[in-house]
Amino acid sequence: MAIGESLPMLDSRERVTGQVPYMANMRLPGMLYAKVLRSPLPHAQITRLDASAAAAMPGVIAVLAAADFDAPGAPELFYGFRLRDQPVVAKDKVRYVGEPVALIAADTPEQAEAALYAIEVEYEELPAIYDPVEAVQPGAPQLHDATPENRMVHAKLRHGDIEAGFAEADLVIEETYTSPLAQQTSLEPHITIAEWKDGKLTVWSGAQAPFGIRNNLAELFHLEREQVRVIVPPLGGAYGGKGHIRIEPMAAALAWKVGGRPVRLALERAEEFVTVTKHAATIIIKTGVRNDGTFTARQVTTYWGSGAYADASPGLVPAGMVRSVGPYRIPNVHIDSYGIYTNLPPSAAYRGAMSSQSAWAYESHMDTIARRLGRDPLDLRLQNLLVSGDHFATGEEMHDVHFVECLEASARRLGWDQPLDRGVGSIRRGRGCAVMMKSTVATSRSEARLEIDTQGQVTLYTSTVEMGQGAHTALAQVAAASVGVPVSSVRVVGPDTAVTPFDPTTSASRSTNMMGAAILNSGAALKRKLIEAAAPLLEEPTDHLSAADGAVFVTASPAERISYVDILRRSALDKLDATGEFSTKGGLDPETGQGIATPHWHQGAGACEVEVDIETGKVCVTRYAAASFAGKVINPVLADLQNDGNVIFGMGPALFEEMVIDNGQIVNPNLSDYMIPSFLDVPAELNSVLVESEKGEFHGIGEMTLPPVAPAIANAILDAVGVRIASLPITSEKVLRALLEA
Amino acid sequence: MMRFLQPETLREAIDLLSADSSSTTLIAGGATVVLMLQQKLITPEVLVSLARIPGLRGVREDGDRIHIGALTVHREVEESPLIRARYPALSHAASVVGNIRVRNQGTLGGNLGEADYASDPGAVLMALNATIITAGPSGGRRIPASEFFVGFYTTALKEGEIITDIEIPVLPEGTRMAYLKYKSRSSEDRPCVGVTAVAAFANDRCTDLRVAVGAASEIPRRLPKVESMAQSQALTDELIREIAESYAANIDTLDDLRGSAWYRTQMIRVHVRRALEEVRHGNR
Repeated sequence: MAIGESLPMLDSRERVTGQVPYMANMRLPGMLYAKVLRSPLPHAQITRLDASAAAAMPGVIAVLAAADFDAPGAPELFYGFRLRDQPVVAKDKVRYVGEPVALIAADTPEQAEAALYAIEVEYEELPAIYDPVEAVQPGAPQLHDATPENRMVHAKLRHGDIEAGFAEADLVIEETYTSPLAQQTSLEPHITIAEWKDGKLTVWSGAQAPFGIRNNLAELFHLEREQVRVIVPPLGGAYGGKGHIRIEPMAAALAWKVGGRPVRLALERAEEFVTVTKHAATIIIKTGVRNDGTFTARQVTTYWGSGAYADASPGLVPAGMVRSVGPYRIPNVHIDSYGIYTNLPPSAAYRGAMSSQSAWAYESHMDTIARRLGRDPLDLRLQNLLVSGDHFATGEEMHDVHFVECLEASARRLGWDQPLDRGVGSIRRGRGCAVMMKSTVATSRSEARLEIDTQGQVTLYTSTVEMGQGAHTALAQVAAASVGVPVSSVRVVGPDTAVTPFDPTTSASRSTNMMGAAILNSGAALKRKLIEAAAPLLEEPTDHLSAADGAVFVTASPAERISYVDILRRSALDKLDATGEFSTKGGLDPETGQGIATPHWHQGAGACEVEVDIETGKVCVTRYAAASFAGKVINPVLADLQNDGNVIFGMGPALFEEMVIDNGQIVNPNLSDYMIPSFLDVPAELNSVLVESEKGEFHGIGEMTLPPVAPAIANAILDAVGVRIASLPITSEKVLRALLEA
Repeated sequence: MMRFLQPETLREAIDLLSADSSSTTLIAGGATVVLMLQQKLITPEVLVSLARIPGLRGVREDGDRIHIGALTVHREVEESPLIRARYPALSHAASVVGNIRVRNQGTLGGNLGEADYASDPGAVLMALNATIITAGPSGGRRIPASEFFVGFYTTALKEGEIITDIEIPVLPEGTRMAYLKYKSRSSEDRPCVGVTAVAAFANDRCTDLRVAVGAASEIPRRLPKVESMAQSQALTDELIREIAESYAANIDTLDDLRGSAWYRTQMIRVHVRRALEEVRHGNR
């Protein structure tokens, strides 16, 4: 049985021998190299731009600046996923340090680089603003003329009577939590190659949303969607940073100016830091609770620092609104979620998008409440967690929810009820736990195509992006099971908008669920076609026939059978194929936030033990148990690795990661100064639990155990030494200061 | 376009460096220089590699001294049986530089020449009374480690000078030493504070104490007056606390992403104390 088997990744040998055809290695004949001139200022008028000297430099084939977009037949200057507010290159004004101002294409990267220095730009500096709370105050510098107070998006939810709820409470607690700007830090940077031929555009890009990028590029260049082809090879990581259109317009516009030779744009690490970031957030959370531990009301106000352009924020800020409450029974809820323009690089999805910041607040807050009530934090959560049949703040009924099981499983694996050695000398130990809920895309559709040939080879055509998470392996297992062939007979053809069927995006942990369901449907359709073709050969009506294990057989007499290969050969067919799709519908009322937030809820929990050195403030996570709701597990080893990876990944923003800004300049745009966890930081004991349900739907698990990491660690610190850190990352210095002030 | 040159003799390298030292950068292992080039922190016209010059790599015994060639990589320093036996704190410090990739590529001479304050080996060599041996246009020089670092990323090297050797004198029998690297962030971070303590004892009384604090200020620091407080004394808890307090009070700490000046002062106090407790109790 292909489902439930711990197969290694299909391309594991290629991965460890360096054979995976990453974008980083791709070269085309005649290819040019692009470099980007970037703004040195956070907010300024461009008063002069002269690239004539650069254009005359050796090897330079094209220079592109905003003026090029005024020419007849030129592409649109502005692009964006929903709100088209971002220029391909800055026109008149720059809004963050690192914003592209001009592009060079040259024969070699060195020539392109040298030409950058020959572009003359003069600026007139404007006042800038970096903090999202300050950016909405009267008199704050305004980034976009059309957006007063820099409020790009405001998502809200009104459920019950918030004031009455607080009035009913025995205790009302309000806290503010902050989460800084951070980096997705894929090993592989953003790389795109664009080529124009016969009025058609082909783009190879390390991207999570091939069709979204195709559609955005078609708009930008006034083309039919079919005139744009987007091909996505395996990615060296993405973590949300490649979730929407990013550097593709620059490469495509430069290639348009070049008019023939392909153009390659590959970002350097420092450029990654000014291309996309995790949203900084300030979250004010206020909860009313009765002495018996039941909640009466919760109000959450979140200011998301979205950077200088909308990018993914128009979709993510409303999603973040839903993700900011927490998986608890709360009768009265009031949420405001603001996406705010600031003079910083645009923010977008970051693995555990918006949930990481939100769960940081509501799960830290939960332990504050437990302390005030004198309750065990696990026990207080279990009392209030949503179960199937409960209604969430959106008004929707919860179904197939297992928050209790996830939290209990992680706590049990940690040994929550076992005695804890509280430490000696300068070491203090403590335990903490956290749980999270995350919505996925409410309305979406995925398609898959399966094809079988006369060799018995099944080809899965899918636009799901393989980015190291093992999606193609898991989907091949689903394909094998759905058609009834061994996994070794399945080959996967990855995203190419001219070849593979539609899928909007590999993100929000939606692929295993959505693409998995689409594959099950296409497998069922392919089996029907095989049965139809077999019927005359077996001389039985189709409703007497079944398909499994590579053959169609008479249901009542399984020995009468014909293999798939023989069906094709005897029917003189080269191949048979079938397409299947799966779609979901939902959405929230923009004024009240009532409706259907998501077709299913992502659910994860974690429990950990930490050691705090009270003389240094240094925190060491010694033990961690993570549990996610997986519905039905397709590949246990790969699924466990997702849980483990989430914990290790999550320790970064919890303890180390922060983009440090000085007057709009990023101080630490490299991996020596910007600190991510090393393997030596991995907890000595790291456990993964996969919670399954009888319903047996495939669930995405790529993010579930990440958002609980920071609050679980913070709660364990609170347990160990009694101090509450409310701003990420939880640095050693913050802990020591808090200890000395306590 | 930057030129890359690979001289085969020290003389040739000195001549190249002396020709235009302001636009020439030496590269040994490249662990740092390559990063700085990539980040465009330096834009030399000429890059002179020392890799082909013979005799600059390896650890050898020379009478009562140990010589470490400037091009010896950290990993080799860590694993050298001679260094392990005689200067375990140096071996340990080499074993915690950066990460294994850096340790297999970065050299001790390169590390010293760069004089990055956030570094491990410098403070250890200072506490070991090491000498930095150089070659230059007007001959060789012997620079005591305590005089080698002169400021922020600045050394006592003169124009055209190249580090060839690090010489460490033998220590009296019964000397104990420790290097404590305190990392405030990830396990592969540079030090927030690094403390080396070297102590010799006779009849449980300290006959010689050296404490060097690295990564906390612009250059590694020893405080001889404070060290002398231990002369002929037993290293009691009280004395250790007093020394640690004096180090904390007398080093002008700096701010960076690994900690504020205030925090570094606290960390000096804690880690000088811990290092002294360690040398009091046993060898390392």
